[in-house]
Amino acid sequence: MNDKELLPWLEKATLGDESAFQLVYQATHQDVYRTVAFLVYNKQDIEDIVNEVYTRMWRSFHTYDPNRPFRYWLHGITVRQVQDWKRKAWRRIRLFERNRQMTCEQFEWTDKAVLQSEMQHELFSLVRQLSYKLRVVVILRYFHDYALEEIADMLQIPVGTVKSRHHLALKELRKRFEMTGGDAYVH
Amino acid sequence: MSIDKELREELHQVADSMHFPPDLYGRVRQSYQHYMNEKRGKSPMKKRMLAGIVAVAILIPSAAFAASYLADDIFGSSTDIEQHGVSQEEYQAIEGMLQAAKGKLTEDEFKEYMELTKQIVQLKLKITDENGVKHEEKLTKEEQQQFEQLASKLAPYFEKINGTAKP
Repeated sequence: MNDKELLPWLEKATLGDESAFQLVYQATHQDVYRTVAFLVYNKQDIEDIVNEVYTRMWRSFHTYDPNRPFRYWLHGITVRQVQDWKRKAWRRIRLFERNRQMTCEQFEWTDKAVLQSEMQHELFSLVRQLSYKLRVVVILRYFHDYALEEIADMLQIPVGTVKSRHHLALKELRKRFEMTGGDAYVH
Repeated sequence: MSIDKELREELHQVADSMHFPPDLYGRVRQSYQHYMNEKRGKSPMKKRMLAGIVAVAILIPSAAFAASYLADDIFGSSTDIEQHGVSQEEYQAIEGMLQAAKGKLTEDEFKEYMELTKQIVQLKLKITDENGVKHEEKLTKEEQQQFEQLASKLAPYFEKINGTAKP
């Protein structure tokens, strides 16, 4: 379903039409879930954030400009919600607990299928090892195909910063990829 | 293959292989309904509070009413009786008498007493003009008989109230 078709349903959903809500959820939840799951690894946290993204969607629908792509707005909300969560998590979790979490984080991801695909997808496993700041740029650039300017707007940081993070991320990936023996994709 | 292309492909492959927890829908739906209720201002708590306020607003004046004059039962209200030359002070005196009766008579007796008083007052009002002067000739013969009957029926009550009744 494209943006134009979705818009009337979104309006109805924000007015309390539950069947419209269901339709909007069906049309968007995979996209939202995937985006969050690329940025956060704990299954419970992913679900919490997805839930918050939808709450935010109803609350701030009045700020959405219908002349711009809906997905762009939605991804903006999603990324900001993830960042909010990260800020809160930092305050909430004490340092040693956090260290413990980080060590088991690797095994705690969404499900076995993803873990398996990580084994099959060497490059993807390297993306997962990038720091959050670099990773979010990679996901928005290569999963959602946004221009660097759009990413800057979404993350509310200067374009120059996005460019340098993008550059750094690719450099990291190339370097590690060489180390693991993948030689075909270096260029 | 360039690293750009490889990244795109792998991310999409991984995304396609993701499983979505089915119970997440129920959770998001619950949040949605909660938000909608909040937005409409119809949360159950608010509703209950509003009902409470309305109930109190109704109960207070009606409680005040219930504690009002017994004399109103008989005359309607003090303004009605003023048209027959009865002043506020006299009205208060009647009220005092009725309150005394309520205290001294049993519940059933008091009911009967109020009923009789009501009837006799109706007759009395009929013969009293706006200056408080009585014109007994205004009553028909039947009404005069009724008046006397009522008076005799009321007599024992008066005795009781005034403490002159024999034990």
